[in-house]
This record gives sequence, structure tokens and C-alpha cells, in this order.
Amino acid sequence: MNLPILPTAIVGSYAMPGWLERLKTEYFARRISRHDLDEIHDAAVKAAIKDQEIAGLDIITDGELRRDNMVDYFVERMPGVQIDRSSKKFYYDFYDSAVQGKLPTASLGLAPDFRFLHANTERHAKVCITGPHCLTKRIRNQYYPTEEALASDLAKVMNLELKALVKAGARLIQIDEPYYSGFPEDLDWGVKVLNTLVEGVDAHLAVHICYGNRYGKPSWEGSYRYLFPRILDAKVHQLTLEFARRGGEDLDLFKEFPSTFELGLGVIDVKTHDVETPEMVAEHIRKALNVLPPEKVWVLPDCGCFHLPRDIAFAKIQAMVEGTQIVRKELGK
Amino acid sequence: MILNLNHLHAKSAAANAHSVVETMYALLEEKLIDQSQFARLRIQLDWLQYKQNFREVVSVVECRNEFGEQTVMDIHVDTRQVVPGPGCLRKELLRAMERSRGGAHHEPEADRILLEDFKTFRRSIAWKFNGLYWRRLDDWERATGKGYEQALPGGQSDGHVAEAIAESVTEFWKLLCDMESKKQLPQEIFMLEIGVGSGARSKLWLNGLRNMDRSEGTSFYPRLRMLLGDYSLATLDMSKPALKEHEDLCSFVVLDALNPLQTLAFLRHKVLHVHSNNMYDNLPDEEMLRRDGRMYLVEARTYLPMQDALRIAATFDLPVEKLHPMIERLLDGSHDFLGDHDRSLSFWQEVWKAVRLEERLVAIEDLPDSPFPAGLDAAKLEDMLAEAPSDIRFHLSPGAVESFSNTLPLLYPRGYLQVQDIFATEFDQYRVGFHGPGKLDGSIVNWVNGALLRKVAERAGFDVRFVPFQHRKGSKTSVLYTTQRE
Repeated sequence: MNLPILPTAIVGSYAMPGWLERLKTEYFARRISRHDLDEIHDAAVKAAIKDQEIAGLDIITDGELRRDNMVDYFVERMPGVQIDRSSKKFYYDFYDSAVQGKLPTASLGLAPDFRFLHANTERHAKVCITGPHCLTKRIRNQYYPTEEALASDLAKVMNLELKALVKAGARLIQIDEPYYSGFPEDLDWGVKVLNTLVEGVDAHLAVHICYGNRYGKPSWEGSYRYLFPRILDAKVHQLTLEFARRGGEDLDLFKEFPSTFELGLGVIDVKTHDVETPEMVAEHIRKALNVLPPEKVWVLPDCGCFHLPRDIAFAKIQAMVEGTQIVRKELGK
Repeated sequence: MILNLNHLHAKSAAANAHSVVETMYALLEEKLIDQSQFARLRIQLDWLQYKQNFREVVSVVECRNEFGEQTVMDIHVDTRQVVPGPGCLRKELLRAMERSRGGAHHEPEADRILLEDFKTFRRSIAWKFNGLYWRRLDDWERATGKGYEQALPGGQSDGHVAEAIAESVTEFWKLLCDMESKKQLPQEIFMLEIGVGSGARSKLWLNGLRNMDRSEGTSFYPRLRMLLGDYSLATLDMSKPALKEHEDLCSFVVLDALNPLQTLAFLRHKVLHVHSNNMYDNLPDEEMLRRDGRMYLVEARTYLPMQDALRIAATFDLPVEKLHPMIERLLDGSHDFLGDHDRSLSFWQEVWKAVRLEERLVAIEDLPDSPFPAGLDAAKLEDMLAEAPSDIRFHLSPGAVESFSNTLPLLYPRGYLQVQDIFATEFDQYRVGFHGPGKLDGSIVNWVNGALLRKVAERAGFDVRFVPFQHRKGSKTSVLYTTQRE
């Protein structure tokens, strides 16, 4: 991959416009058709791609604007998961979903979304998926003896999907596991099923672990210390973590527990509308460079920009790019 | 004509409902009501909640289109003010209908002294009276000889009931224990009280937690950081003596109740417990009407009925045309505008007692500005009203919505907001009665649209539940609990 030093990207989601929220909810109220909603999504995704390109990001996502939330997009495609479709009125709510038998293996059909992204940008494209631990926490388990068993089967189904994405051209894949922070006691099996998920997947793999971003708020607080040393067994290339909102204290963990991981460094607080300055971003990066070499650091927001107004999200990622450029210059790159 | 029978418990309007119908038929047959008025007329009976209020016996609320034609006409009858006998209701209904007809031709107002032009209620000078009351509470209490709390129903603030405070302490202590056991409890435990009053509640609360610590062998009390917020520095100063023994962990902060986040941005997502009591019901309010698929804002203007104006002018030996300028001086903060402090105070009380509100409806698309608080707009409101009755007049509660929305971001992930106030907890409640505004001593009191707050909270990722206050018989207050939703 031909990426610059300190590559920049968003974590996954871009700002969800109010008008799109309304139209998604209209769809759930049966007032617009699936066909119209798909066209609306295409237009919104193209706009999100353009914004990221104008802001100067090196890696582009589709902004996850087709998704209602980070769970339902996967749950409703997952074969064998029962969904009560009347269980949500507002698009962002979670479906009530349950597993009542062994999960069959079938495609989730994510490749077309990736192809759309790839066709609409010449930059590097990243695809993000929600990990099996997170999905397990949202699906009622009425069949498997343990959460780990359910997660393991989810990982097996999704492993095939990741391979299909690679076949479609995906080279950068991010797995989102925010619930690790809420259930640190699950980490042992969490890492095991993460490795099942990525087994044989020939791509650059990152795992994003934050403290939650539901409705733009943290769901938990604490320290990333709980991740170590168990996370060192994860067969991924990168840990993408939040540092802008929480401060850089946990950076020292990378010193304390040397590893081969790159760090996806969160430098933008997505839970406030205050826009960071490029200098603030640069300062975050410099702190990380005290712990890791520049080729091991990628620059990202703390989490998805989903809940930010579009103008704020755009200003933030622009500041992120400018801040990164400051440090690149200092490094002579 | 549609007759809406509201129902105020133990205050049945049955007898008067009958006579209202009879009177309306009689006026129609005598051709004293136009057919066109009759066709769009709605009468609301027993519409008032508060004994001290801003209404006359009969009042008209109407909407006119750009050609001056009436499109909505509502008549509100406060049956409690109807003087028994045949004449009162007929006379008042006729007067209201005539005013309505006259309004179309912009005739001068002979039966009242207007104190302002029509405007959104939150901009009305009624709120200047309210502000004056809180700024000069001492004066008012001295003049009436009773404290603010004595004016409350039950003669005591529901926030000061010992059993309720003990319950609140226990609930919080259990949360702290649970978080501590899961290693989720931060070293500093931030709490916020918005609207401190005398400081008595906070004192009792802190005493309670300290005692709980002692009896249960925990040590949360020293980790507490109690923020006491109020818009008035004077009020904060007054509360300090009550909290003397807890001063090491108390911080007194001047803040705008409408936007606590502005002052406390550094505590975003860090406060474990926010509490307020009897605050939302006194924040600026608006009312809206949804009728036949259209949304209207209720605009208001204050006035003095002429007979009250004449009486007050005679009492204070003033020409009646001097009343309005004197009221402006009063509201500008002058203490001795009648040359004597006590006389000025007495003037203030008499005027406040007499002040009434006249209302009109304006379709929201005809308003020059959006009436909605930040974060809300017509489309969102329509979504939120999806399950509400299609024909409804309700509080928009913009002050409460603003305060609420600007407090939620302070909450720690497992933190909660607890608000004790008077809430309409379901939109349906607006179909069986209306809940304000009223006068409580020298202040304005309004029920708060809790159903709307619940919807606003859902969109912000919080769950809201209401629990009726159990610790005082006859209490109309509820406790709103807000916690983060999954």
C-alpha cells in the first residue's frame, strides 16, 4: 500500500445529516420505498466521500451512512437471526433480535457497498464491520450454551464475508469492538473470537476499541489497561483507540507492553462540537511519537463522526489533516 | 360547535356545562352569534388549573388569516369564576363574542388597559413580573408576611421532605457501591444541584450520605464534589451558612439554569447525579395548538381589566392613564416609584393580582422566527407528536427543554438526572384539562410537558421515567429520572 507517513482516515462513520435521519425514519414508517431509500443512500455516500477527499484524508470510507446503527446493519443480514421488525420506530433504535438455532453460513452481502465506495474514490478505501463480541451483546441468545459460542459462530460467518470483501478488492478492514470496554471480563474469549474472525483474511486489519459513542456519549469510562496483556494475542495489525477526549495517559501502555501493533491514534473528540485546532492535533501526535515510531502511527478521530453536524465533522477532519501535515513537516516527510 | 368538557378533580362543571349549552343556543336563536362564528366555535370548560391565574370568566382565543377572516375560535370558560344566576354567563359570553367581532375591525380596547403588544409568551412582561419576584423575594415576603415555601401547596417544598431525601441518598449510595464493585467509580464523585434555595436540601442530603457512610462502613462522602448552581450570586451566598459543615466539598457556581453546560463544560460526561427541584415549572414557557393538521403558537399580551385598573388607580390616587408608566417603572426595578417603599410594594401586589393574559393563535409558518428551543424544529416536533392526540393544546416548555438538553451532556455514563416538579407525563393529559400558567405568590407557575421531555431525551439517548411523589399526601409533583439508554 502506498500510504504516506501518519496516514489519516475517519474511524468509519461520517456525519449523519438530519434530512437523512428523517428519510430513514420515513422508510420505517412505510412512507418511502426501499428503492428510493437506496438512491438516497447512494447520493449521501457520494457526498460523504467527497467531503473526506476535500478535507484531504488519505483513506476514505463510505461514511456508514447506509447503516441505521452499528448493529442492525449486520444483524438484519445475518442468516438465522430473528428480528422483530416492529420493534423500532426511530431508525437509530436497535432491533429486538434473537438467535434460536445454530447460525447457518451464508453471505451478508457487504461487497456491493465496498464496490460502490471503491468506484467513487481513487484513494485508499477502508471497510468497517462490527465485531462478533459487540453483536453478541445485542442479540438475545436463546440457543447457544454461552456467549462465547454464539460469538464464535458469528465470527465464522463473518470470516467468510471478510474474505468476500478481500476478493472484491478491500485491503483495509477495521473491526469495531466497543463493548470490550463495557465487559472487560469477556476479553479472553473476545480475543479468541476476534482471531477466528480474521483467520486467513489477507488485508490490513485494525480493531477499533473505544468507550462507546451511542448518541454521541460515552457508555463507559476507565483505562485501556484492561486490554493488556491479553490483547497482544490479537492477530491484527492495528489497535485504533480514543485519546483525544480521554487524554494521552494510556499511551504509556504501549511502552509497558511492547508489541508489533500500529496505533490508530484518536486525536479528535467526536463527543463535543468544539473544533480542535491543527496545533492541538499536532500535539496529540507528538505525544504518541514519544512512545511509538512514526511509521507505527495512524491518525484518526476518537470514534465515528456519526453524531456530529456535517459542518463540524468536516471542520474537525480538516483540522486533523492540517495537524498531521504539521508533524509530517517536522519529521521532514 | 364543539364543546370540550375537561375535568378537574372534585371541581365538577356539570351544572355550568348545562347552562353554557343553553346560553349558546339562546344567543344563536336571538341571532346574537353569527352562524359563521358558531360553525368554527369550540368551547373549553373548566380549563384552568390554578385558582390564581391570568384568565377572566370567559376568554376568546382566535386565529385570523391574511384577509382578517377568523379560522379558529376557541372560547375558554372558567366555571369557578361564574357568578351563580342567569346573567353572568350570558353577559360574559356576549362580551367575548363582541370583542371577537370587534377584533376583526381593530376597534379600540375599551374594557382593558393593554400593557404590551402580542408576542410569544416567553417574551411577555408577565415574565418580568416573575423575575422581579425572585429578585425582590425578601420585599415580597415581608409585605405578605409569609415565606415562599408557605405559599406552596402543603406549605413546604416537596424537596425538603426528610423521607424523600433519605430515599434519594440510599439510591445514590447503592449506585456508588455497585460502580465501586465494578471498578467503574471515578476517584472524584461529582454532583450538581441546580437551584439551591436556602441550601437546606443539600445540607440534609449531605448529612444523609455522611451518615450512610458511617453506618455502612463506606467512604464515599470525602470523595464527593458537590456543585451548587444558581443564577443568583445572592442566593448562593444565602445558602452558604446552611452548608458550613460541608464546605470542604462544596463549590458554589453561578450558572444559567437554561444552559448549565456553558458554565460546566469541563464536567461534560463527569457528573454522577444532577438534581433540581421546583425549577422547570418556573422557566419561560410557550404553548402550542395542533388543530386540523396545522400547528399554531399561542401569542399573548398582558392587560389590566378596566374595572381592576380603575380600582387600583383610585386606591393609589393615580389617574388611570398613569398606571401603565408606573408599571413600567416597577418592572424596571425602581423600588420607590410611588414615593414610598411600602406603597410601591402594595401597588406591585395589586397589579400582579389583576394582570390578565389575552391570547391569539398564529400559524407557525406565519411567525417571523422559529419558536422552538435549540435542537427542536417543527418536523421533529411532528414526529414526537405522532402518538399524541391530533387535536391538542400543549406546553412547548422551551425553558425546561433547553435546560434539560443542556444538562444531559454533563452526565457520567451511569449518572442520572433527577428533577422534582409538576409534569404532564402523557400527552393525553392535555385532553382532560389544562395545566397553566398560573400565579403562585408573585411568580408564574406552569406544568411542564414531561411527555415532550421524554421524547427529547429519547433522541438524545436517554430514558425518562416519572414517579409520583409519595411522601406528601395530595402532592401533584412527580420525580423525573433520566438515565442513559442503551
